[in-house]
Amino acid sequence: MNTTSDPEAQSDLNRRAFLKGGSVATLMAMMGGVPLIAQEKTPEGATKYKTSSPPVNCGVIGLGYHGRDILATLARLPNAPVVAICDKYPAFLNRSKELAPKAAAYADYKELLADKNVKAVIIATPTHQHKQVVLDVLAAGKHVYCEAPLAHSIDDAKAIAQAAKVNPKLYFQAGLQDRADPQRLFVLPFVRSGGIGTFGDARMQSCKKQSWRRASPNPEREKEINWRLVKNLSTGLVGELGIHSVDVACWFLNERPKAVTGFGALRHWKDGRDVPDSVRAVFEFPSGVTVTFDGSLLSSFDTSLEVYTGSDATILVRDFKAWMFKEADAPLLGWEVYARKDEFYKQEGIALVANASKASAQGGATDDPAVTGFTPLYYALETFVTNTDLHHAAVEDFAASFGANADAAALNDYLKDLQKTKKHAATAQDGYEATALALKANEAILAGKKIELGKELFAPV
Amino acid sequence: MKLRRSLFFLTLTLAAASAFAQTAKYSAAPGSKLKMDGTSTVHDWTVESALIGGTLEWDAAFDAAPKPGKAAGAKVASVIPVRSLKSGKSSMDAVMQDAMGAEKNPKISYQLTELTLKEAPKAAGDAMQFESKGDITVAGVTKPLAMPVTITRDGDKLKIHGATTLKMTDHGITPPAPALGLGLIKTGDEVKITFDWVTKKADAK
Repeated sequence: MNTTSDPEAQSDLNRRAFLKGGSVATLMAMMGGVPLIAQEKTPEGATKYKTSSPPVNCGVIGLGYHGRDILATLARLPNAPVVAICDKYPAFLNRSKELAPKAAAYADYKELLADKNVKAVIIATPTHQHKQVVLDVLAAGKHVYCEAPLAHSIDDAKAIAQAAKVNPKLYFQAGLQDRADPQRLFVLPFVRSGGIGTFGDARMQSCKKQSWRRASPNPEREKEINWRLVKNLSTGLVGELGIHSVDVACWFLNERPKAVTGFGALRHWKDGRDVPDSVRAVFEFPSGVTVTFDGSLLSSFDTSLEVYTGSDATILVRDFKAWMFKEADAPLLGWEVYARKDEFYKQEGIALVANASKASAQGGATDDPAVTGFTPLYYALETFVTNTDLHHAAVEDFAASFGANADAAALNDYLKDLQKTKKHAATAQDGYEATALALKANEAILAGKKIELGKELFAPV
Repeated sequence: MKLRRSLFFLTLTLAAASAFAQTAKYSAAPGSKLKMDGTSTVHDWTVESALIGGTLEWDAAFDAAPKPGKAAGAKVASVIPVRSLKSGKSSMDAVMQDAMGAEKNPKISYQLTELTLKEAPKAAGDAMQFESKGDITVAGVTKPLAMPVTITRDGDKLKIHGATTLKMTDHGITPPAPALGLGLIKTGDEVKITFDWVTKKADAK
C-alpha cells in the first residue's frame, strides 16, 4: 500500500525528502505541487501518435485512504475517466468528490453497478468486504481490479478467483501492484537468470512508526474503520503490507514456499487492539532458499525494502528504486561502469533503472518516482486500463466477426493468445495464491508456530 | 390428422429449402489469420489478426461442381477490426491504430466484384485457383484490388488463402516515424498482406 494521500505516508515522504536536501522538484512535491516534467517534443520529420489505449470508464468502490490514493492516481492517467464513486460513509464520499468532480457519487455500490456508464470497477473496500462486491461486480458484467489481499479468508479468496475464472469475458486484475511495476520487471531477470550469482536468500521488510488506528467521530465508525486492528477481520501486517513484497519474492524465485514460521508481539500500541505491531515470518522454499518478512508499526528504521542476496551481487529495492551491490570478486558485466552510482554507508550502489535510455532520450526527466508519482500503483492502474480495453475489444470483435460460429472454446483460445499483447499484471490466480500465503503467514504469526504448506494450497482454482 | 399435419409441414420445409437452394452461403468462423508484414529503417515488423469476419456466397450449382470461368453469384464481403491487429506490443498497436485513424474508420473492409476459377479441381479437397477482383477500404479510402486466391474445401468449411501488397500512401496513411526514434526511424510505405480465411457453410451445424 503506497498511500501517498495517507497523511502518515505523506509525512514519511516529507521527512525523507527533507533529509535528502531536496531539489526544487522535491520541494514542489512536498508542497503538494505537480512536478513539472519536460514535455515530450516531437522532432522534425517525426509523426505524433497516441501511445495510450482508448479510455475506459472507471468506477471506484471504497474511498478510504487507499481508495482516494487510487482516485488521485487515476486522475493522472490520460485514459481512465472516473465516472462513478461509492462509499457508504458520507464523509469519505464528499472528500472524494474533489478528486473526481465529474463522477456520479453513490452510497450503495449496487447503484454504481446499475450505472451503465461504468465499464470497469476498482475495489478498495476493507479486505473482509471484497468477496461479495467482486461477485456482484462480475455478475453486473464489469471488469474488476481488486485490491490485495483479495480476502481475509482462504475460502473467500478462492471464491473470488473462481468467479473471475468462470467469467472469461471480463478482465480481472489482482491488486498486487508490484507485478506491473517496470522497476520490478527490470530487476526480475537479474534474480532469475543468475545475474547476481548463486542465490542466497531474500529479506523483505515493511517498517513505519504509525498506529494504524484511524480517527473516527463515534464508536460505530470506530468499529467500522479500524477493522485492521481486530483479529478476526485483520490479515495483520503480513497480510495488509507484507503480501506485496512476499509475493514479489515468490514471483522472482518462481516458486511458492513449503512452510512458514511466524513470530509476533504487541509491543508498543497497547490501545486495546489484539493484533501484533511487530511481526516476523520466515518462509521456506522447496529449493532450500528462505525468505524473511519483518513488519513493524513501532520503528521506521530502513522503512520498506526488499533485499536479494547473491554470491556476485546483492540487489536492494527501496522507494520504488533498485540498486546492485557487487562483491569484490564478481565478474565485470560492462554496463555498470557507465551506470549511475549512489553512495551508501561504506557501500556503493549501482543504480538499476528501468527504461534508463528512454528517460534520457526524453530530456533527462527525473527518475525519482517519489517525485514523479510514477509509483507501482500508477503502473498497475495504467496496466489495468490498457488490458481492460484490449480484453473488452477482443471479446466484442470476436462476437461481431463470427456471430453464430463464435464458440466459447475458440474465444478462450483467442483470449489466451491476447495474453502476449497484454501488459504484465497479477492474475486472479496470482491474487489467490498470494492471499492464501499471507493468511497462512498471519496464522503462523498469531500462533507463534510453524505451518507446513501443502502444494494443494497453491493449486489452480 | 397428425400425419397430415406433419406432411404439410414437411412440404412447407422442402419448399422453403428449395427457394434458397440457388445460393450456397458461408460465414466467417474462428481459425482465420491475417498477417501484415512491413519494413522500417531499423527492423521489419509484423502485425496479426485472428479476426476476419464476413460472408462468402456463390451459386449452389457452382458450390456442388465448380467449373472454370466466372463463379456465378459470387459475393464476398469481409471485415477486419483495425484494433484486432496486434504486434505483441500494446504501445506500438496504439500508434498503428492512431495512424490508421481507427477511431473514425474502425474497420478494414473488402468487397468482391468478380471471382474467376482458373481450372476445375480434380478432387473435392483440392485447392482451387481463382483470380479475384474487388475493392478494399483502409482508413476510409477505397481502392480496387486484384489478387489471386486459393480456396480449399474442408468438410463444411472453405479455406481462402491469398496475398497482396498495399501502399499506406494509397490510403492516405503517412508511414509512421515515431517521435521516440527522433523521426529517424521511418516505416516503409509498402505492406505485404497474407491471409487465411476460414468460412463455414451457413446451414451446416
